[in-house]
Amino acid sequence: MSVFANPDRRLFTPQFIGQVLLRYAVIAALAGVFAFFSFATTTFLTSANLTSILVNNFTLLAIVAVAMTFAVSAGGIDLSVGTSVDFASFAFVSLVLAGYPVGLAILAALVSGALVGLFNALLISGVGITPFLATLGTLFIGRSSQQLLTNGGNPVYLPQTGISPLFLFIGHGHILGIPVPLIIVGLLIVITSIVLLRTRFGRAILAIGVQQSVARYSGLRVPGHIGLVYVISGFIAAIAGIILTSTVSVYIPNSGGAFMLNAIGATFIGTTLSREGRPNIPGTMLGVLLLSIVANGLLLTGLSFYWQQVGTGLLIFIVLAASFLNRRGRGD
Amino acid sequence: MSADIDTLSDFSSGNDGARRFARWLAGFALHGGSILAFAALLIFFSITAPFFFTLGNIGNVLGQSAILGVLAIGLTIVIIGGGANVVKGGIDLSLAANLGLSAAVYATLVSTGHGDGVAIAGALLTGGLIGLVNAIAIVIFGIVPLLATLAVMNVVAGLELVLTQNTVVSAASDFLSVLSNYGPFDIPVLAYVLIIFTIIAAGIVQYTPLGLRLYAVGAFPEAARAAGLPVKRIVASSYIASGLCGGLSGILSVSYLSGSTTGAGEMLLPVVVTALLSVVFSRRLVPTIGGTLLSTLLVGFLTNGFQLLNISSTLVSGIQGILILLVVAATSLQRGKGVA
Amino acid sequence: MSPVADNGKYALRLRGLVKRFGGVEALSGATLEVERGTVHGLIGQNGAGKSTLIKILAGLYQPDEGSIEINDISHRRLSAHEVEKLGIHFIHQDRLLVPSFTVGESLFLGREPRLAGLPFLDRRTIRKRAEEILDKYFKLKLPANVLISELTAAQKQIVQITRALLDKPSILVFDEPTAALVRREADILFDLIRRLRADGITIIYISHYLNEIEALCDRATILRNGKDVATIDPRATPASKIASLMVARDIEEMFPKISVTIGEPVLTAKALSKAGKFQNVSLDIRQGEIVGLTGLLGSGAKDLVRVLFGLEAADTGEITIEGEKGRPRSPVAAVAKRLALVPEDRRGDGVALGLSVAENITLASLKRFTGFGFLKRDEEHTEVDRLIEQLAIKTNGRFAPARTLSGGNQQKVALAKWLSRKSTLYILDEPTVGVDIGSKVEIYNLIGKLAERGAGILILSSDLPELIGITDRILVLYRGAVVREFQSSEATPDEVLAEATGALIQHYGEQRHVS
Repeated sequence: MSVFANPDRRLFTPQFIGQVLLRYAVIAALAGVFAFFSFATTTFLTSANLTSILVNNFTLLAIVAVAMTFAVSAGGIDLSVGTSVDFASFAFVSLVLAGYPVGLAILAALVSGALVGLFNALLISGVGITPFLATLGTLFIGRSSQQLLTNGGNPVYLPQTGISPLFLFIGHGHILGIPVPLIIVGLLIVITSIVLLRTRFGRAILAIGVQQSVARYSGLRVPGHIGLVYVISGFIAAIAGIILTSTVSVYIPNSGGAFMLNAIGATFIGTTLSREGRPNIPGTMLGVLLLSIVANGLLLTGLSFYWQQVGTGLLIFIVLAASFLNRRGRGD
Repeated sequence: MSADIDTLSDFSSGNDGARRFARWLAGFALHGGSILAFAALLIFFSITAPFFFTLGNIGNVLGQSAILGVLAIGLTIVIIGGGANVVKGGIDLSLAANLGLSAAVYATLVSTGHGDGVAIAGALLTGGLIGLVNAIAIVIFGIVPLLATLAVMNVVAGLELVLTQNTVVSAASDFLSVLSNYGPFDIPVLAYVLIIFTIIAAGIVQYTPLGLRLYAVGAFPEAARAAGLPVKRIVASSYIASGLCGGLSGILSVSYLSGSTTGAGEMLLPVVVTALLSVVFSRRLVPTIGGTLLSTLLVGFLTNGFQLLNISSTLVSGIQGILILLVVAATSLQRGKGVA
Repeated sequence: MSPVADNGKYALRLRGLVKRFGGVEALSGATLEVERGTVHGLIGQNGAGKSTLIKILAGLYQPDEGSIEINDISHRRLSAHEVEKLGIHFIHQDRLLVPSFTVGESLFLGREPRLAGLPFLDRRTIRKRAEEILDKYFKLKLPANVLISELTAAQKQIVQITRALLDKPSILVFDEPTAALVRREADILFDLIRRLRADGITIIYISHYLNEIEALCDRATILRNGKDVATIDPRATPASKIASLMVARDIEEMFPKISVTIGEPVLTAKALSKAGKFQNVSLDIRQGEIVGLTGLLGSGAKDLVRVLFGLEAADTGEITIEGEKGRPRSPVAAVAKRLALVPEDRRGDGVALGLSVAENITLASLKRFTGFGFLKRDEEHTEVDRLIEQLAIKTNGRFAPARTLSGGNQQKVALAKWLSRKSTLYILDEPTVGVDIGSKVEIYNLIGKLAERGAGILILSSDLPELIGITDRILVLYRGAVVREFQSSEATPDEVLAEATGALIQHYGEQRHVS
């Protein structure tokens, strides 16, 4: 179960060292990238920039990637995480705009995200559609509904004045000098790590994701658990929608989709960190951190902004190749 | 004995006719029903929108669908050779990004004074190389196609941005104006391109030994291996073919938009849906090139019909989503595989 | 026998084959000599070495010792490609045909006729030649554009045989070809095999069914424990003799005999039926009782087990578990009623190879180790360590992935999962297949102890000495019906095998056939 503690005795065989190298490729890459940008730019290694990485690059992707990690843990994938982000954002903005209390608007946003997940759950566990296609369908339907709701895709702005300070606090506030979004992410990481590693539910999800048939033969409620995973995924993605909206004070239709691919990338980068190749929250977070640092650092080097995407893509590609070679080496 | 074979022998044991009939019915409803629905749609639009059923309008729809169609045919080839399981089977998510980069390469070459021949070669080479990278990642590294092509998609989309600085590189040349013009019967040249390309692709996939082998590799790799086919090489070539389709669609896109495009990524999901819908237009419920053309046109006519009726085109994406769910639900019912 | 004198007589001679996997000998000096133009049977129980022998012939395994001679040419080693070039073809029970292909496409895949001078398929020739060939070989009027998925099992088999015949084979190997066929289809297949023999093709026929061997084969080689024990003329040899040759008798001391008082019924099934699988099956299992269940592939025994555990639904019938009526509708319900299933496909369904030993062991009993939704890891680990010790599971600690364990130890983990659940009825499907001899004895001991503690046990096994050794009584299924119940103390492997293979049935009619 433990990702880092290693009770294995047979150390220092060439094969084992090779596996360790591959497994810690992400950490090495992280350190390398960090060192590179520290030397290559004068602005990277400053507390202001490091904070900015965490708040601007890390937060939202981290939340969406946590949602994705749940789906991947259960052996599936959730292409509609962005849809949950969007629906939450829309519900949040609409209710605040209509004068409802911020607390109620937050609740509505979370429920909206979870409802998207519930729709996936019904398709996957009820109808028996594979997660990829089910969530792809949801993504499409979500797009259309957002355009219908916004007269063809017009952003919904909040007025500059008269908004509840609580609303802005979520995106811009500080507690003890720590930005609120960061606190939310921190709590989320701790809670979801505990849920996946320390609860019966998490263990069941793990077993279903590793070998569904064994889980079924062991009397676990496989369809029920899988369904719940997608509801949770939608719920968590909704948190990203709330923070996003509070930060920019606007709902832009179909903007959440931008997180999906990087969230998948971060999740699979994370699995390479696990000895058993399992999706895990700490690993996913390192993946998100790596992607955030590369995004931020490439920007600072003065290189074209657009190299950012090439770099990120190459990085994901290399890590994936390493992870699959690693798994093949183990004879899966 | 694998579960599939068990199902197969169930299917054919003949002594439970009821279940067999139910599956046949589901298959019929799916296949016949979808063609009927397509026909009904055409009739509906013809009655409600006066201009709909004119040669000119049909030609326009064909022309507007050319880029989508070529990409969807590329994806269809990958799906045929990789099997229908989207996660473990064949998929090429890099196609739309491929379109973007190939278009950018083409437009850049033309705008920097190179001839059309060089530009065409450049675009096709770009597409082919992207396909080759996918093929290597999948066949040699053994990365799941979904993830491999996802990563390649990111790299390719980034390279396009680097090349164009996220601007539209406009391009004009004789060849491009021929492509973007109208041909005989006042039908866009792009429409002819789509038809000719479909015929060529269908000729290869549906009527040559190579095509037959592609189907065998995708549907039942063990059987293909037992028949002595080079499974890996065939899978790899399907990705290269798909990459070349991306390159070709890039050329078409430059002529259609008179330049490169910054929004190529938007094409990805419609391409996936179109290729997956292809299945319902074949008797055997397998993806075919002809079926892909039909589903391309279905999507094209839907968009066009809604425009003529002044109904928001935003509905199209939702209808695509619902279509895909219906198709998948019906196929999983038809194959007799219910909830896991 | 001197090799020189037999020159030309044999199509195939495999002599003194030895094959080891790790420390285990799958073949220890097996010889198979097949005369040209004959149908040669190959029989033996599970684990006798049939499949290893065939895989060596197919070029999939290389033997450690022994000689291979095909058509009088000796080969040091064979590759799959060479085997095909030598004209040896295999008809597997798994029909390797693409369901969405037509008959014609399936026949010509990989050697498609083309239109003269063009790269295109000649579909007309494919259709015409396919129909001609099917008609010529099998008098089968089958439209060549019918899809494989629309064929019956026998028709699919014919397509596969025809595919092989297109290569003009000299030797055809049939591996359990009737497993998925109904009686009538099997008869067609037998006619066909006789016809192929008349055409001069040498045939190797592998089967469990003694009556088939008797009806079809000119000679038959019996394998046991990796050796050939005899090559006989099946028509001149009584079935009981063949059965006794197949069964080893030297391991009976392995089975612990513990006297246990039989208690209340744990599970009672009345008149269970499932269309096409089994009919009107009743059984009851009591506390402390070990009941055996045996039957060949297609006998319905597997399906019965799946129904008992809620993996499939029965059509009619009644199941009572610990006095409570109601058929389990899912494994969830079965496990809730404290049923346990150790499935045959250990690595697919029994043990999650990617999970640790601990995670596997507690998977069915997580509730025990949960407080307010959280796992109580200390309690979990105490229980896991206790079970690892009790079952003597050889593992590199409780966190070692199940993948790293040997087959026998994986099976112990599969059992430990249900011990942790404190199940009251254990259904064990082929519990010792692929398990080394040491672990086997430990598993037998464990089964005995479970019975002693009052659990009911149902063992499905095709290893008859094992079944007779550890059970109290044995039910034999043949083609979907219970044909005989034995008291284990009075049963002999020969008798049980004779019932299971239908060697006795065929004399009094065929009304029992499922078809």
